[in-house]
Amino acid sequence: MVDREIAQRLFAKEFNDSKFNIHPKPDEVIFDGGHAPNFIVSPLGSKINRLFATGVVTEIDNIGTEHDLWRARVVDPSGAFIVYAGQYQPEAAMFLSTLEIPAYVSVVGKARIYEPEDGSVFVSIRPEDINVIDSDIRDRWIVDTAELTLDRIDAFSIALASGLTGTELFEHLVQNNIPKGLAEGISLALDYYHTDTNYVDKMKDVVLNCVKSIGSEPDNENVVPDEDLILKLMKEMDTGKGIDYAELILIAKSRGMAENVIVAAVRKLLAKGMCYEPKIGILKVVS
Amino acid sequence: MENKLAPHIEELTKALESISINVDESQIREELEKLLDFRVPLDEAKRTIIRKFRSASMPVMKIKDITAVLKGFEVTGRIIDVTEKTVNLRGKETVIFSGTLADENGACTFTAWSDYSLKSGDVIRIKNAYSRSWHNRSEVNFGERSNVEKLSDDVLPSMDELTKAPIKKLRDVVNTDLSVSTVAIILEFSHRNVNIKNEEVTIVEGVLADETAKLPFTSWISLDGLDIGNTIRIEKASVRMFRGVPSLNFNNNTTITAVDTSTEKMPFTFESSNKAPKPTLISEIMENDGMFDVVALGNIISIRPGSGIIIRCPECNRVIQKSTCRVHATVEGVKDMRIKAILDDGTGAVSVMLNQELSEIIYGKSMVEAEDIIQKAISQEAVFEDMRKVLTGKYFAIRGNTSSTKFGIMLVASSAWVPDNDIWIRVNALKKHMGNDQTGDLDNG
Repeated sequence: MVDREIAQRLFAKEFNDSKFNIHPKPDEVIFDGGHAPNFIVSPLGSKINRLFATGVVTEIDNIGTEHDLWRARVVDPSGAFIVYAGQYQPEAAMFLSTLEIPAYVSVVGKARIYEPEDGSVFVSIRPEDINVIDSDIRDRWIVDTAELTLDRIDAFSIALASGLTGTELFEHLVQNNIPKGLAEGISLALDYYHTDTNYVDKMKDVVLNCVKSIGSEPDNENVVPDEDLILKLMKEMDTGKGIDYAELILIAKSRGMAENVIVAAVRKLLAKGMCYEPKIGILKVVS
Repeated sequence: MENKLAPHIEELTKALESISINVDESQIREELEKLLDFRVPLDEAKRTIIRKFRSASMPVMKIKDITAVLKGFEVTGRIIDVTEKTVNLRGKETVIFSGTLADENGACTFTAWSDYSLKSGDVIRIKNAYSRSWHNRSEVNFGERSNVEKLSDDVLPSMDELTKAPIKKLRDVVNTDLSVSTVAIILEFSHRNVNIKNEEVTIVEGVLADETAKLPFTSWISLDGLDIGNTIRIEKASVRMFRGVPSLNFNNNTTITAVDTSTEKMPFTFESSNKAPKPTLISEIMENDGMFDVVALGNIISIRPGSGIIIRCPECNRVIQKSTCRVHATVEGVKDMRIKAILDDGTGAVSVMLNQELSEIIYGKSMVEAEDIIQKAISQEAVFEDMRKVLTGKYFAIRGNTSSTKFGIMLVASSAWVPDNDIWIRVNALKKHMGNDQTGDLDNG
C-alpha cells in the first residue's frame, strides 16, 4: 500500500523561494517497492510533491502555440502561485479558459520545477483540481497555512539552535517530536539552502502579514464595520461596469459616513483583495 | 584487481553501515568478485550486493511491533496454544500448525507451514519469519525457509503470566492484546440473532466508552439486567480485530459485573463519554490501522470517481453496471448515491466515504434532484461533475470509524458537517505566538 502524498500548505513566498528538487534514484525506487515520488524541498524544509493553495486569480493567459497552455497567477497575501494547465489537464484548462477574473480559487496540484540552462529556477503548480471558492475558505486556508508554516519555523529554529547537520540533525529533531517527514526535509533544506535565522525571521514576518491581511475580528454584530457597509454599497451600485469612486464617496456621505472613513475603508478593501481598481477612479468588487 | 576493487568495497561497506548493517569486508569482496567473474557490470553488481545484505540482515522484532506484510525478521515467543490443520494448498493436502504466540508485551497468531513438533508452552526463536494480515491482524508465518530454535523456558515469563489479561484503558487496547480487563460505560446496546452452525444464537452488540476512547463490543453471554448507561467491570474480554479496530468479545471466560457509580466514582459519565470527540489530526489517524469514532477536519481536495448516482445489486449491495451483478447475474438494480472523497488537512490525507443521507447533506441536493441533473444532461457523469464543482476545496468535519484498506486509510462517515468558523480564535492565537497580540493593526502595506 502506498500512502497518498499529502497536499502541503505553504505560502507563495516560501514556494517560490524553493529551488531544490529531489528525484528518486533508481535504487530507491526498487527499495521502496517501485514508488518514490519527486519532491521539491522548500527553504523551511517542506517536502512538496502535492500542494493545496487558495488565492485570487488575477491573470490568465493562453501562452501555448500548437496546443492551448493556460497560465494563471493565483495570488495569496505573500505572492503569486503560477499555475500551468495544458492539454494533459483538460479540466483545469477548460476551467481557466472560461474563468472571469478576479476570482477566489482553490488549487490542488503537483509541484513542478523548471530549470532552464542559465541557472534560474521556476516553480509552478500543475493542477489536479481547481475550483471557485468564497473568501471564507481563503481566510481559513491562510490560517491553516500560517499555523503549519509556524510549526515548520519552530522546528527550524530547533534545528538552527542545535548546530547539527545531516543524520545527527534528523535524529535530534525526531527526538524533539518533529514528524519524520519534516525532520528529513529540514535536514535536506539546511544542507542545500543554508537557511539561516535571517530567512526564518523574514518568513515569520511574511506569516504575520498574511495573518494580518485577514483583518480583525468584527467587534460585535450590531456595529457593522465601515468596510462591510462600503462593500455592501458597492455591490448595490455595480451594474456590471464597475463603480465610480467619486460617486461612491457621494452616496456613502449621504448615508452619514465621513469622507476619511470611506477612503480608509476602500483602501482596506483594496489591500485585502476584496475589490480592485481596473481603471483609475473605477472600482470593482471581487465576487 | 585487488587494489582496483578496494574503493568499491569500502563504498559498499559504508553504504551498508549507513543502514545499520555490518558486513565483513571479505564477504563483500567475495560476493563482488563472484559477480564480476560473471561479467556483471560493476554498478549492477554493487546494487545486487546491497540488496542481498539488506535482506539478509534480520531485524529482531517484538510481537507488538510486527505489522502486516513484513519479510525476514526474527522473533522470540512462547506458544500459548497450537492446533494442527489440514489444508488444501495448490491441490496438495498439507498439514499446517497454527496458534498463538506471545512475548512480554503482546501476542499474535502464527502459522507454521512445516512440522516443528511445537507444543503449547514451548519458547521458540524464529529466524526469517514473515508476517501477513489474517483476520485483520498481523500473523507471524514461518516455514521451510525459516529457522526455528527451541529456547530454554526461562527466556520468557511463564504461561500464566503471559495469558493474564492486563487492565487497560480503552484507548490502549491494541491488536496484540489477546484479552483485556477494563471498566467502561455502555453507550449502545442491542440484541441480534445470528446463525452459528445451524443454531440460532442471540448475541448483544454495542459500544463501550471510558474517558479515553470508545470501542465496539460483542457479547456471546447473557447480559441480563444491563442496559445503556450502566457502568460495568469487565474481566478477561477477548480482543478481536474488525477492519483494524479492536473490538471486545465477552465469552465464557469473561466476567462482567455492574459497577455502582453512586459509591464508586468514575472518571467519566454517560454525558461526557457520549459526545462527539474532538477533531484528530489526520497525520495521527494515518498512524493507526483503525480508529473507532474519530472526527477529522480538512479540505476536500478531490472527489473520486465512483461518486454520484450508482446502481446496486438488490441481493448483495455490490455496485453494478448495465444491470449485471458479478455474483447474481442480471438483476433489477437499486439506485443509491454516495460520495468518495479525499480529505486533507495538510498533515495527512484520508479517503472518506459518505452514504446517501450524508451525501445529500454535504452536497446540498437530494437524490431526486441529482437524478434530475442526469436526466437533463443525459449523462451519468453529470452528478459526479457537479459534486466536484460544489465540494472541491471546501472544509468539512467528518465523524466516523477508520480502517486500513489497500488504498490507504478509509474513514466511513457516520456524520458530516461544516465546521464552525473559529478563525478569530486561531488568528489571535497566532498573533500571540508570534509575539504580536495587537489586534486591529492593519498595517500590512
